[in-house]
Amino acid sequence: MAKSKIKNNIRQFRFENGQMTQADLADKAGVTRQTIIAIEAGQYSPSLELAIKIARAFGKKVDDVFEYEE
Amino acid sequence: MNRSQKIAWLFVITISLAVVSSLAAFAILYIKVGIPKAFAGFALLGIVGFAGFGQMIFPKDKGKIICDERDTFINRQAAIAGFATAFLVVGLACMLPFFILGPQATIAVWWLPNIFGAAGLASFFVHSVVILVLYGRSNKNE
Repeated sequence: MAKSKIKNNIRQFRFENGQMTQADLADKAGVTRQTIIAIEAGQYSPSLELAIKIARAFGKKVDDVFEYEE
Repeated sequence: MNRSQKIAWLFVITISLAVVSSLAAFAILYIKVGIPKAFAGFALLGIVGFAGFGQMIFPKDKGKIICDERDTFINRQAAIAGFATAFLVVGLACMLPFFILGPQATIAVWWLPNIFGAAGLASFFVHSVVILVLYGRSNKNE
């Protein structure tokens, strides 16, 4: 998959949320850990539904977690 | 590596092995006994059948979630690529004789199941390669 234009702060938010592991976030968002790894590395753009789930896992808005790079 | 990747690797290995060994067998038989008997070498394509055991060999992935939107996306892309490849193989198999032999020529009916088999093999191979490529590119940090 091509490198996504959507940047994210998932790694930063994971550490700010008590060193949340990728597996913990995956469980909260209802996806596999592989998918969290791919999203975090910017190699997969999540659907809007998944983006909202991830943002909610951190108690943030989607805009805070994801940003589109022009 | 998840179950899909393991099964895809099994397909890539068995199909590659089957094609290489059957072509080698065909070449050897061609030199020794000549053309129609040399086609018996393609019986080694049966090795591909072992790939069918992949579903039994590899246990289901552990964890609550074993398939999500990314897995679905990758499988869909692989299926499209596999189908496109099968279409291409059948298309080429139909068009090449037309251009090589001419519009009035005839071909034996036994080519038809072979074309079907070749399209299936190519489809499975490309399907598996696409799965490995799409997962592989995004799993380097695991």
